[in-house]
Amino acid sequence: MLERLWKSFQGTRLGRSIFRVGLPGSNLERAQVAISSFLLHFQPAKVNRRALKFRTTLGLGLISLYLFLILTATGVLLMFYYVPSTARAYQDMKDLEFVVTAGLVLRNMHRWAAHLMVLCVVLHLCRVFYTAAYKPPREFNWVLGVCLFLMTLALSFTGYLLPWDQLAFWAITVGTNIAGYAPLIGKKLQFMFLGGHVVGESALIRFYVLHVLVLPAVAILFIAVHLWRVRKDGGLASPAEPQVLQEELQPAQLPLTKTYGLMELARGTTPMVGLKPEEEVFTWPNLIFRELLLFLATVAVVLVLSIAFNAPLEEMANPVHPPNPAKAPWYFLGLQELVSYSAFWGGVIVPALIVFALLLLPYLDRKRRGVGVWFSHERRLAIGVFTFCLVTAVVLTVIGTAFRGPNWSFQIPWKPAAAATEGH
Amino acid sequence: MTTPADVPLKRRTFLSLVFGWCSAAFALAASVAAAGRFLVPNVLYEPDRRFKALKPEEYPEGPTFLPNLRVFLFRKGNSFRAVSAVCTHLGCTVNLAASGFHCPCHGTVFNESGSVVSGPAPSPLSWFLLSLSRDGRLVIDTAQQVRPDRYLVV
Repeated sequence: MLERLWKSFQGTRLGRSIFRVGLPGSNLERAQVAISSFLLHFQPAKVNRRALKFRTTLGLGLISLYLFLILTATGVLLMFYYVPSTARAYQDMKDLEFVVTAGLVLRNMHRWAAHLMVLCVVLHLCRVFYTAAYKPPREFNWVLGVCLFLMTLALSFTGYLLPWDQLAFWAITVGTNIAGYAPLIGKKLQFMFLGGHVVGESALIRFYVLHVLVLPAVAILFIAVHLWRVRKDGGLASPAEPQVLQEELQPAQLPLTKTYGLMELARGTTPMVGLKPEEEVFTWPNLIFRELLLFLATVAVVLVLSIAFNAPLEEMANPVHPPNPAKAPWYFLGLQELVSYSAFWGGVIVPALIVFALLLLPYLDRKRRGVGVWFSHERRLAIGVFTFCLVTAVVLTVIGTAFRGPNWSFQIPWKPAAAATEGH
Repeated sequence: MTTPADVPLKRRTFLSLVFGWCSAAFALAASVAAAGRFLVPNVLYEPDRRFKALKPEEYPEGPTFLPNLRVFLFRKGNSFRAVSAVCTHLGCTVNLAASGFHCPCHGTVFNESGSVVSGPAPSPLSWFLLSLSRDGRLVIDTAQQVRPDRYLVV
């Protein structure tokens, strides 16, 4: 019935003008769907069977992308009610919670999708590391991925400032103070972020513009290039791929007397070379169907979370007193644990070193060993170092989350906390 | 289309290239600098950093917290001092404890005069300049720090 309706629409002049290819019936048409549709051309016409297996990627990059889409959709809707002014912001949050139809669920979805996105992006980074998918020729895509990871954190940080509750106010205070510790330009940077000396109206509008326009725009550009490079760098990393994908183009080999054919300009071999026909399947419907299924699953998880749990909203911002203890969201608690030892070393030097190490990783660890294999035995050293750093980060986060009580003093979570010493 | 490597570059071409690229680089740098400078405000609509408080005798013995300034005013007989309540680590407001101050954010402990006892704060709490106005009221200037032994005696 649906198919008949679709077919009759396809037959009209309007239908033909919108969709270049109809629902595919033959293999030729299946290939054409992927090649000639704007939304689908990010994918090849045929993919390796291996790419369809869930354990190859765990779907983490795609889930991150879907969460980004959910965040964009819910974020745009929230913008219709939220006014970035210190007088109104908190009231608008309360309105969304109690007055606006579906406002509560939309805000919950936005918050939980953001938390999930941080989690999925980190796991995606780990997946790419543990399957050695950053090795040549995919070095630069790893760099783009690290940039996207930082943008995810920046989007989260600028996002939870907007409700102008206690968490927001003291996070801006602490965050911009950390920026103030940067060598040479620190104090200027802090002044520029705040738009003044105190945390107030000008700081809120600055972080709002970053959150709803600047960062998403840059992120969309990076995501597009990141996805495009997955294809151009030879699809998903696989142990079977030829050792050298990017042969240098030798100008001397090209005849200078005629126009070049595309196959002469293409670099190296495509991912499909050397694959047996039975190892590859058509993207439509095999990959497309799985991708849609994953999208539905992602939306379902976010929706269930949002109906079951309300997003946190602390008391209205009080510029005089921080809450005690004043804790950042979980993904920044490792950092908070670090700055509780030293703001300069924990807040500036260590994060800068981590980012630097991540960016340089594919240029230092270049040997093409264990590509496409989980936890390859040939990469013991790299895996050991990375796992050590990862475990350290997790341990710091757990300490910051569970083992820190009032005045950031060490406490055992399952024992009753000592009474906080309140001054006033 | 492209110049083969063995043909020498003409002086005119070379100078044009240098001039063109330098102009482009200069225009880009100037635009970035202007945009960056644009983000630094020239006028601030913030409260005055000098604050006229009550008359000295109206304050009780011991500490008084002035919330809008985030300052502790201490009175001991007829001598006064104003100690900042803003933690020098990352800007949280410290709480008054039995002896000194505690920061709730990252756990720095300060003693009564504001020196760091333990924790991550890199420097002691500031003492601010206290003076008397002509009508006999205390004036706290949070823009000016004094040495942590300068009391105002009235």
